[in-house]
Amino acid sequence: MKQFNILMQKEWRENTRNYKIYWIPAIFILLGITEPVVNYFLPQILEASGGLPEGAVFEMPAPTPEQILTAVMEQFQTIGMAVLILAYMGTVAGERKSGTATLLYVRPLSFPFYFLSKWVMASAISLLSVWFGFLGGYYYTLIFFDKVEWSKLLQMVGTYSIWVLLIVSIVVAASAAMPNGGLAAAVTFAVYLVLQLGDGLFGTNWSISPVKLPQYAAAWLSGSPDSASLGGAIGVAALLIFVLFVFGSWASRKNKAKTKV
Amino acid sequence: MDQTTLVLALLPILIIQLALMIFALVDLIKNPNPNGPKWMWGILIVVVNIIGPILYFVIGRRNY
Repeated sequence: MKQFNILMQKEWRENTRNYKIYWIPAIFILLGITEPVVNYFLPQILEASGGLPEGAVFEMPAPTPEQILTAVMEQFQTIGMAVLILAYMGTVAGERKSGTATLLYVRPLSFPFYFLSKWVMASAISLLSVWFGFLGGYYYTLIFFDKVEWSKLLQMVGTYSIWVLLIVSIVVAASAAMPNGGLAAAVTFAVYLVLQLGDGLFGTNWSISPVKLPQYAAAWLSGSPDSASLGGAIGVAALLIFVLFVFGSWASRKNKAKTKV
Repeated sequence: MDQTTLVLALLPILIIQLALMIFALVDLIKNPNPNGPKWMWGILIVVVNIIGPILYFVIGRRNY
């Protein structure tokens, strides 16, 4: 346990020194705020950007606050996830390249603890960023549009957090398994796309597929998702995270030899 | 909603963008060995909103 604490301290120091604890939350807050603001100003933006014939009139249905929060989540799904993947693609692989790994691996290091420290730090920063992002988006939805109940927001963010944890696990495990950060990011993006595509094409009946977690998260806003499917999806996600954890610890031990000295 | 509240409401977006940009620029100036020419990163950070600083932090600082 002492080793884990020390590894966590190292992770903390690393993440403050490369500013990840500042810029990742900043980007998520920005994404969260921009969505309601852009929606609020959409009529003016369309008018100013031109392209509409003189005298064109068009009735813009005012989006509901639930739609805005779902749109915030979709922003996180595309740009947000890309940012997380880019930020953590090198968390293990980069260490082997920069030489930090030589300092670590010469010691009797417990690889599960090593991997866990990486995973905990990456998850903590990602989750906090996502939460702050949703909070910003919620606040702006509140002042520009209308109220959404707190409990709905909490349920939605809670469900979405599991999905974020799954993505972070994939990145960190890929980073442990791949020789460099670029490949780790490529593998993660590929897995991400294949998962989405597979679920979109054949997954209509796979109610417990973890890829549906964002959909279930959005469903909290307009009622509640099917609790059996939601529970199943969370269970499968937890199982996958555990498998990725075991795989990642094994891969980081196996790739020890690839360290550049 | 009147003009002043609107401006106040939009201020955080501006502040976060500026903070990201300034943070990245200060780090770039202090960085002895960025990944790629300094002037290129400088232009990228200032001109490309949000994405520029992200790319600098990830690629330019060799954080991968």
